[in-house]
Amino acid sequence: MLLAGLLASVEHGLNRVLRLDSTALARLAHLEGKVIAVDCTSPALQLFILPSDEGLLLASQWAAEADCTLRAPASSLLHLALSRNKTAILHSPEVALEGDSAVLMDLAAVLQDLELDWEYELSRWIGPVATQLISGHLRSRTRWYQQGFASLNQNLAEYLSEESRTLVGQQEAQARFRELDKAKIDLERLEARFERLNRSLDPSDNA
Amino acid sequence: MFHSVAAKYDLMNDVLSGGMHRLWKRFTIELSGVRTGNRVLDIAGGTGDLAAKFSKLVGPTGQVVLADINGSMLKVGRDRLLDKGVAGNIEFVQADAEKLPFPDNHFDCVTIAFGLRNVTHKEDAIRSMLRVLKPGGRLLVLEFSSIAAPLRKAYDWYSFNVLPRIGKWVTGDAESYRYLAESIRMHPDQETLKSMMVEAGFDRVTYHNMTSGIVALHRGIKP
Repeated sequence: MLLAGLLASVEHGLNRVLRLDSTALARLAHLEGKVIAVDCTSPALQLFILPSDEGLLLASQWAAEADCTLRAPASSLLHLALSRNKTAILHSPEVALEGDSAVLMDLAAVLQDLELDWEYELSRWIGPVATQLISGHLRSRTRWYQQGFASLNQNLAEYLSEESRTLVGQQEAQARFRELDKAKIDLERLEARFERLNRSLDPSDNA
Repeated sequence: MFHSVAAKYDLMNDVLSGGMHRLWKRFTIELSGVRTGNRVLDIAGGTGDLAAKFSKLVGPTGQVVLADINGSMLKVGRDRLLDKGVAGNIEFVQADAEKLPFPDNHFDCVTIAFGLRNVTHKEDAIRSMLRVLKPGGRLLVLEFSSIAAPLRKAYDWYSFNVLPRIGKWVTGDAESYRYLAESIRMHPDQETLKSMMVEAGFDRVTYHNMTSGIVALHRGIKP
């Protein structure tokens, strides 16, 4: 019952978030009737996800057969949830996928493409004027922090490479890498010539 | 008695169970195994909590029948579901659980949540449910049951002292809630109900106790 209560709360919160995106529910409606089972091998835990045009239904057990089953340890599942390149993780040996994988990929795509209209939700609570003021303030703050971080990054890199000489500058490093690449190619060419010379001097080859 | 409490039935369920009835019904949905295209009968469906969920699960190709013997409850359920936009694949039928007006082998799943307790001839009702189920179909009975012994005293005190008072404050009808407490004690316990289902002809009958046995969910499969 505790797990059911927890899942009900997560489901409620998740569906509220999904409603903030203008396209998520319409895209989930295409997956209606599908059952996705997520089988966590360590710790042993099972979760069933049923998408519909109202959001997601989460269940700790489901008596009907799942259309797609994803079996993996918790670490891989977390990695899968956070990573953008899901295909690479799905091909790892500890992850097993059974059934219609397109269902899972479609669900993952919907969750990954979420663009939450938080301003609309906020305006329902505090009104449009206050929302406009707060969002304007937040946007200018965000821009200020982004510019600040970019500037700090640039200054720090310049200091470390130009003034303190702790690190090599980017141009310098690239020139050195180019030289290394050239030396590697020259070495390979020389090796190939030695090989050819060796073959031409070998009497058994000439025979 | 349900005529007097129909309008505030959901509110009372939330108040008296502390919202737990939502989790009990949620568990029932999980064990139902209902899929797209299935035909589901929800007996004593009341205000349509389960029927609304089933309607979503069976989709436009399936069918849900919400049946209740009480006209007031059925009307509240129908209005509520229509207000929520649940329509198209759902029908409302005033019917007696003992003599279900449906053909043999018709439904994939039959549920009765907090309704069997109020049926006079329970064996007849269970047999009737078996008849309308398709072979392989599931019957789910969600009902108050026998609580674990250490909690019985506190539960009895709550049932006979607190429950009727809350009922009076919210619905103005203490008698209905006194009846509720008494009918729960009269209802067969977990093992008795299980044997009744087996005797009626159900296969693989199991039950799950919830909240220390305050409620039990019985499930049987038609062979």
